[in-house]
Amino acid sequence: MNKNVYGKESWPVLILFILLLILPFFLTRFYIYLLALILVSGLTAMSLNFVLGYGGIYQFHHAVFYGVGAYGAALTITKLGYSPWIGFLVGSLLAAFLSLVMGAICVRLSKLYFGMLQISLGSLVWAIVYRWYSFTGGDDGIHGVSMPDLINSTKGSYYFTLLVTAACLITMYFIVKSPFGSALQGIRDNPVRGEAVGINVKLHQLVALVIAGFFAGVAGVLFVVVDNSAFPDMLFWTLSLEILIMCLLGGWLTFLGPMLGAAIMVALRTFASTFTEYWTLIQGVILMLVIIFLPEGVLGYVNAKIRQLRNVASGGKA
Amino acid sequence: MVKRVRPTGFPFVVWVWTKKSLMEAIMKKEMIIGMSVVLFGFLAASFSFGADTIKVGIIDTYTGPATAYTFDVLDGFKMATNKVNAKGGVLGKKIEFLTRDEKFKPDIGLAMAKELVLKDNVDILMGTINSGTALAVSDFAKKEKIPFFVTFSKSDKITGEQGHRYVFQITENTLMAGRAAAFELAKKPFVKYWIAGDDYEYGHAIADSVWTQLKKLKPRVQVLGQSWWKVGETDFTPYITAILAAKPDFIIVATGGSGMVNFQKAAKATGLSQKVPFYQHTAIELSTLEPQGLDAPEGVYGTANYLFYYPDTSENKAFVEEFRKTYNRYPKIGALYGYVTGVLIEKSFAKAGKVDKEKFIDAVQGMVIDSPVGKLELRACDHQLMLPMFFGVTKKVPQYPFLIASDIVTIPAKDYMPTCEEIKALRK
Amino acid sequence: MEFLSSICPPEILCQILVGLSRTTILFIVASGLTLILGVLRIPNIAHGSLYMIGAFIAFSVSKWFGGGTTGFWMAVVLAPLAVALISLVVERGIFAHLYEREHLMLLLLTFAMALVLGDLVKMVWGGAYRTVQLPGSFKGPIPIASLPIPIYNIFLVIIGPVVALGLWLLANKTKMGKISRAAAVDREMVGAVGVNVSWVFAIVFVIGCFLAGMGGALVSPIVNITLGMDHTLIIEAFLIVIIGGLGNVWGALLGALIFGLTQSLGILIWPQFGIVFPYAAVVTVLIFRPIGLLKSTW
Repeated sequence: MNKNVYGKESWPVLILFILLLILPFFLTRFYIYLLALILVSGLTAMSLNFVLGYGGIYQFHHAVFYGVGAYGAALTITKLGYSPWIGFLVGSLLAAFLSLVMGAICVRLSKLYFGMLQISLGSLVWAIVYRWYSFTGGDDGIHGVSMPDLINSTKGSYYFTLLVTAACLITMYFIVKSPFGSALQGIRDNPVRGEAVGINVKLHQLVALVIAGFFAGVAGVLFVVVDNSAFPDMLFWTLSLEILIMCLLGGWLTFLGPMLGAAIMVALRTFASTFTEYWTLIQGVILMLVIIFLPEGVLGYVNAKIRQLRNVASGGKA
Repeated sequence: MVKRVRPTGFPFVVWVWTKKSLMEAIMKKEMIIGMSVVLFGFLAASFSFGADTIKVGIIDTYTGPATAYTFDVLDGFKMATNKVNAKGGVLGKKIEFLTRDEKFKPDIGLAMAKELVLKDNVDILMGTINSGTALAVSDFAKKEKIPFFVTFSKSDKITGEQGHRYVFQITENTLMAGRAAAFELAKKPFVKYWIAGDDYEYGHAIADSVWTQLKKLKPRVQVLGQSWWKVGETDFTPYITAILAAKPDFIIVATGGSGMVNFQKAAKATGLSQKVPFYQHTAIELSTLEPQGLDAPEGVYGTANYLFYYPDTSENKAFVEEFRKTYNRYPKIGALYGYVTGVLIEKSFAKAGKVDKEKFIDAVQGMVIDSPVGKLELRACDHQLMLPMFFGVTKKVPQYPFLIASDIVTIPAKDYMPTCEEIKALRK
Repeated sequence: MEFLSSICPPEILCQILVGLSRTTILFIVASGLTLILGVLRIPNIAHGSLYMIGAFIAFSVSKWFGGGTTGFWMAVVLAPLAVALISLVVERGIFAHLYEREHLMLLLLTFAMALVLGDLVKMVWGGAYRTVQLPGSFKGPIPIASLPIPIYNIFLVIIGPVVALGLWLLANKTKMGKISRAAAVDREMVGAVGVNVSWVFAIVFVIGCFLAGMGGALVSPIVNITLGMDHTLIIEAFLIVIIGGLGNVWGALLGALIFGLTQSLGILIWPQFGIVFPYAAVVTVLIFRPIGLLKSTW
């Protein structure tokens, strides 16, 4: 079944990638910046989906890793004075490390209890970052983080973001398609059976969490590249829920769904807020509609429709 | 979550064409179409047409407790620009403004600033009450070379160590406020002090500023102890108890925003205001006193840059009259900031002769304008507006349903602002 | 009362009393949350918004009746009722149809509701601060062991156990209460014996939200009523519910005590990181007893 790891339908995706590569030549700077933000949010959402959709783990406070990645990079560059490239590495690894620590504490539990403990741990991290203003800048955050000239401009930061995001997504895809990924999904569907077959469930989940944390950290680093700042709100629980919504909106049962969800959310936020100050209301209403009518998200709904059509076309079970 | 996942993958190598994959390819197409629509939507929307106006982009917090201050800024600004536009605008162009709500979050504020500059092509940026946002936007303004007027944030870094050519501060900052307070407090007989406040940058900055200057002016003063509570704290009783036990002569209370009212309420509830006098920056401002009505504590010392009833000059009276007629309420401090910004923008473009950002900056530096509190100069060396500071004590009066300041002393700007040399040293 | 100040320093005693009055508010709101979570299995994130609405309605009611004593008491009575009404509409209109969905979906749905309610509050009341006046008899301090404790704080400390007692009576001595407790454990069985489970859920939901509104109304005189008070409270309430045991009202009381007191005392120990203490306490509890301290109904 996994004969063709390289996918059967890569050409539409390739087209999309080429599109993303050439678009900056046609768009104004603002939209390039917005696209970069979408990629960053999308990567964060995808990293969440790695453990949520594929792993079935209730990762309720994913934003912590995103925020720690950003702060790690920003602090290394501003407070410790190291070169930005080192900062990027530090940020991502710090997020992965935190994921390891938090995961090790939480992974003993399952489902809702895991989520609850994670929220409390995450909130603890947030509280510390928020109050330690002599080091982290407190509620002001860190800003004016200097970047290497190559990636300092709007276009430069966009391309860097695009390339890094693409690299991360490819890696994620291969992990998902690998035996590890299959085991993970098996654990999601039936952990008892997984244990019975000899898979170390907890270890698999922990590894998945570290991977997800690492990618979220990378996303945080990319945010610093695009915006030159880090803010404590990046660690707050409302952002975690927003990322969750992106996954849900786009479709958490598909690989690229969260990216689509991120695109929709960021686009909506930008455009709706120019028309009304009650953007949060619109966000809430849309979310409710999606939950009630499209529980598998936009992409999931589309997928289901396609599957329906295909079932009809091939006259029976696919 | 028992459904099987269908990875609609994202790889970059040659695909293998099979019958099954045709159907899946169509499904992928939906996704591609979806994304393309979003992207092309961007492209279409990105074609904006330049209007023949001067555009000012205002980022501020229009959600939450800060709105008690920020709406006044906007209304004051509108009042100034409406007057200008009624005369046909400046340089033949009307002044148009766009507002964006940052919801007191610096990341949203920065994103809004970028949107205003990159998408809406504003000529001037204005805002905000959040110091974090102000500093972040200031960095951005420097990168983009666009003038940014800070209307309410009080961080002294804005025109101090992180000041630059493109940022201007209309409001006072913590360094200035502290020094002005110390100026007056040094004249009072208090010796034993207690320092307390909101445990964040603003609180500490104000307290440090007051204390450093006070100690300089009156070396005899001593601090018995300090209390710092979290921002937004509502239960001050334990802190107040500790303070009362130490028996200081006076308390410097460094609160901001909602902390102002909360602390005053607690001071009244615990009887502190009758036992030990204390000072808060903006304690005598309408924004702090009006919500409490006649329940506000009397005898609280405070500083403020604007009082609608003082000075009782014709300019101030006219300003208050016009504001009340337009907005049906008394102007608070924000109104002055917003109004002055509007006047500065108009007069500077007029002096510059064209809508050129660099010429604008050359014109606005050192500009002197008329205002409800007299003539104001935007100091050239640091781009700080030189406002007079009023120092007074809260008191009940029969003609208003809220307390006002009494025993008012006016401290001119040059007496409490850092000198140009000090600023230069900070910016090294 | 003087002996108290001799066995422990005034600041600590004061902090404990303050912590207890905070506990009351936290308990009232958390008890509503835990009821809804325990019986309906809905993690109601909108609970914070209802608390906020309670506070705003209290403000409006108090203003309507001209402030002062009448205004305050009318607010305390009417605001929770109004919130209960709103919650009834929301429950019948939206939630009732979605009980079979997964927890995660319900959680996100209530989050969406919270976003909507938050903006609705902004639409109706605008963004400014509001305050509610205390009735004359509650103003000012009462000297307890030579500490000036505001009378209102004492009032709150007394109200807390009263509400707890009331809820206990409701849950154990009324038929409704017994049915709800049964439905929390096994809703299918309860349905099978002929009880209209849907209406049981509606009643429990409304009572839970009534409590949220009450919390908001009671807190209105001592805080600034502002937008955003929902966000901070909801995470605290949730953590309290989690450490207390899902669905357990006494657990909510215990959790609120832990949370309120660790925060108040934490401030004495390390003022800058005062708010870290309750979170650290929650983490500690959950590491050792992840299902909560007291029995949960799940």
